[in-house]
Amino acid sequence: MNYKLQTKAKFSESKTSLFSKRRREPSHPASVSFPGGTHPPGSKELTRESKIQPGPAGKQVAIMLSQHIGAICEPLVEKKQQVQAGQKIGDCDAFVSATVHSPVNGKVKEIALRSHAVLGRGPAVIIETEPENNPPKQPCSAKFTSDFNDDSYSAEQIRYAVRQAGIVGMGGAGFPTSVKVEPNPKAPKEAMIVNGCECEPYITCDYRIMLEWTNQIVAGVKLARKAAGCSEVFIGIEDNKPEAIEVMNTALKTSANSDGIKVVPVKTKYPQGGERQLIKAILKKDVPTGGIPPMIGVLVLNVATTAAIAEAVVTDWPLTHRVVTVTGEGIVNPGNYYVPIGTSVAELIEFCGGLREEAVRIILGGPMMGIAIADLTTPTTKTTGAVTVLTEKQIGGAKFAGIQTPCIRCGRCLEACPEHLNPTKIAHAVKNNLLDVAESYYISACMECGCCSYVCPANIELTGYIKTGKILLARQKKKIPQ
Amino acid sequence: MLENITVSPSPHISRPLSTRRVMIDVIIGLVPAVAAAGYYFRVYALILIPTCVISAVATEWLCNLIRKKPNSLGDFSAVVTGIILALSLPPGLPAWAAVIGSCFSIAIGKMVFGGLGANIFNPAMVGRTFLTACFGMLMTSWMVPATVDSTMPKIAPTEVSTKTIVDARTQATPLALSKQAIKSKSEAGVVNEQLEATFTGGIGGCLGETSALALLIGGIYLFVRRTINFHIPLAVLAAAFVFAAIGYAVNPQAYIWPMSHLTSGGMLLCAFFIATDPVTAPLTRKGMWIFGVGVGAITMLIRIVGEYPEGIMYAVLLMNAVTPLIDRFCRLVPAGGRPEEIKN
Ligand code: SF4
Ligand code: SF4
Repeated sequence: MNYKLQTKAKFSESKTSLFSKRRREPSHPASVSFPGGTHPPGSKELTRESKIQPGPAGKQVAIMLSQHIGAICEPLVEKKQQVQAGQKIGDCDAFVSATVHSPVNGKVKEIALRSHAVLGRGPAVIIETEPENNPPKQPCSAKFTSDFNDDSYSAEQIRYAVRQAGIVGMGGAGFPTSVKVEPNPKAPKEAMIVNGCECEPYITCDYRIMLEWTNQIVAGVKLARKAAGCSEVFIGIEDNKPEAIEVMNTALKTSANSDGIKVVPVKTKYPQGGERQLIKAILKKDVPTGGIPPMIGVLVLNVATTAAIAEAVVTDWPLTHRVVTVTGEGIVNPGNYYVPIGTSVAELIEFCGGLREEAVRIILGGPMMGIAIADLTTPTTKTTGAVTVLTEKQIGGAKFAGIQTPCIRCGRCLEACPEHLNPTKIAHAVKNNLLDVAESYYISACMECGCCSYVCPANIELTGYIKTGKILLARQKKKIPQ
Repeated sequence: MLENITVSPSPHISRPLSTRRVMIDVIIGLVPAVAAAGYYFRVYALILIPTCVISAVATEWLCNLIRKKPNSLGDFSAVVTGIILALSLPPGLPAWAAVIGSCFSIAIGKMVFGGLGANIFNPAMVGRTFLTACFGMLMTSWMVPATVDSTMPKIAPTEVSTKTIVDARTQATPLALSKQAIKSKSEAGVVNEQLEATFTGGIGGCLGETSALALLIGGIYLFVRRTINFHIPLAVLAAAFVFAAIGYAVNPQAYIWPMSHLTSGGMLLCAFFIATDPVTAPLTRKGMWIFGVGVGAITMLIRIVGEYPEGIMYAVLLMNAVTPLIDRFCRLVPAGGRPEEIKN
């Protein structure tokens, strides 16, 4: 697998050349992909060499009671109560939910509202701490060696630990992992895909953990496979990360009980890390429109999630910390940090040397799908993989030069859409308030990846219109009595 | 520092490609054809092309002023329309007629629909149709290229052209000759020989259609820049070739060599620059195939069976008219299949 790896690394960050609108990515000989998509500049060079370092030991953390898809947790603590690091502070009986824990030793200040990038404002447990009582938590990757064996853990045991640890999909959506790995007799899981694509520009947290926590990830993959009861596992990694492909391959080779686990290099293309796109690339299967991967017997987990599973099962420690890439041209010291979940964006930015003069946009997540925030007290959550700060130069482009024109019907958005939709038709239907037309063009199948807006020469905010349309539709459906 | 922070929906970056850039690319693609026109028709090209461009731009500016709309000249689409219209006019056309044509193109072909992106018909073809309807005579007098005169006989097909030139100033186009051949059931052989010159361009015809070579270079540039997809040009040319080949196979005496149909009468100009106008062509790939085949086939029908020696203009307008229909037929299927079909 390590042929030509060296030469490829050199090219992988090349800028868009004048004569090609698609970047000419040198592709791995065996790389697979999906039709559609686009090639935004990777911009990963800012942080790809920065090792994971301990993050800020802040004075305050805010743990959102809902960091996941599903029911909101009830707080288990009261004002002024002392809490220990790792203590459960929120829980819920609903099947689709995930518990939350305190990452620090400290005192509950209050239960107040905080903004969540996707879910809007919601209740959060605010915990005050003294940095003296809180030495930075060390990653547990050192506990894992290549001879890790999953035989001593039963499937029930693993599922119980995952549920107790409050693990959710750490790649973005935040679906409770306990629900995902639960075997379903009606749809047995045939294959598991581990998502190490990290196709979103700028972000390198998954890349770093693949390099630094390799054995922990392999252990997590084995445990997750056992819990879900499937045999075949594919680890999809984009071919602009040859080093990650190599270390994962080496780790698998030396690891016991790793038959059936395979690293699959996938083409560097956005949004290769989308669940449906990754399944298409690796298994050549389409997830039905409006359906979810389990319907075709597939389980997709992010690499960070598998690392969390390993930690939860082996060391019995809940999901309280995660690696966050703080990056972008607008930040003084970009890097990868292991931070307590609940640290505010303001604290993270301060820890990284603050904003540069030119910073104009702060994004939770990456530039393609991330949410721009104005409220810096917004806490990080289990799904926050990055804080990206961009300057006028990156977001500028044509958009700020004021060259927005009507749609010239060039069809570029159709070509780029990984879901094969007609973004311009949907966006214009929403603009003219024709929601039924938008529905007839399958607005709900849009994954909001942003490819269409990215490629549009007329600079129309297609994804923005589509998101608005979905919200309007949801409201309309609520109003109509059943 | 925070006062600079802005929010907007994702994505927060965009490809440095704008409508203006797309139009500039088309203009660059047209440069070889413009140069060829300048070389073969000299002062006529020098008058016609700037006249069309300036009057097209001025008309757009005026329309915006009247409709109290923001200025839209920055997208350069008026310049493209102006150049394409000029290239599809006979060189000898008086400047005043060109001005009328350009004004009509922009005002009626584009602005009444609501400007760029909203027009149904290709504006340049609308203008040309109007001119043909009003000034039929002027629109069918073809001038001999400046290079085909006694001082420079080598560049043109010598004997053939001297034989066929009726007038010192005007000359029938190859396609007009072939039409005569079809009608009179006489030999098309003469025409066939003359057609070899259409590749380089030393032949009578519209400003931009004479040099197939120049158009090819421009078309290749557009492919390389990915400004146009290959679907429409390929479909147009393939359909035209097949039709012409059928004609040629049936009666090689009366019908000209199929390749000649492709290199003459603005077929290449149409395939690369007119039919590919994104605004008036279908959105989906399948639609593009249908559209292209339609343009090629209708053109050849007109050329072979119809009254006119050329047919590009009508073929394009006809297909423009059915584009919304094509778009409706060629709906994309979402990657995961149509949800309504999955349920059943
Ligand atoms: S329509 Fe939706 S899925 Fe398609 S490119 Fe746009 S944002 Fe992505
Ligand atoms: S990319 Fe933009 S200009 Fe092109 S068809 Fe889509 S919306 Fe229209």
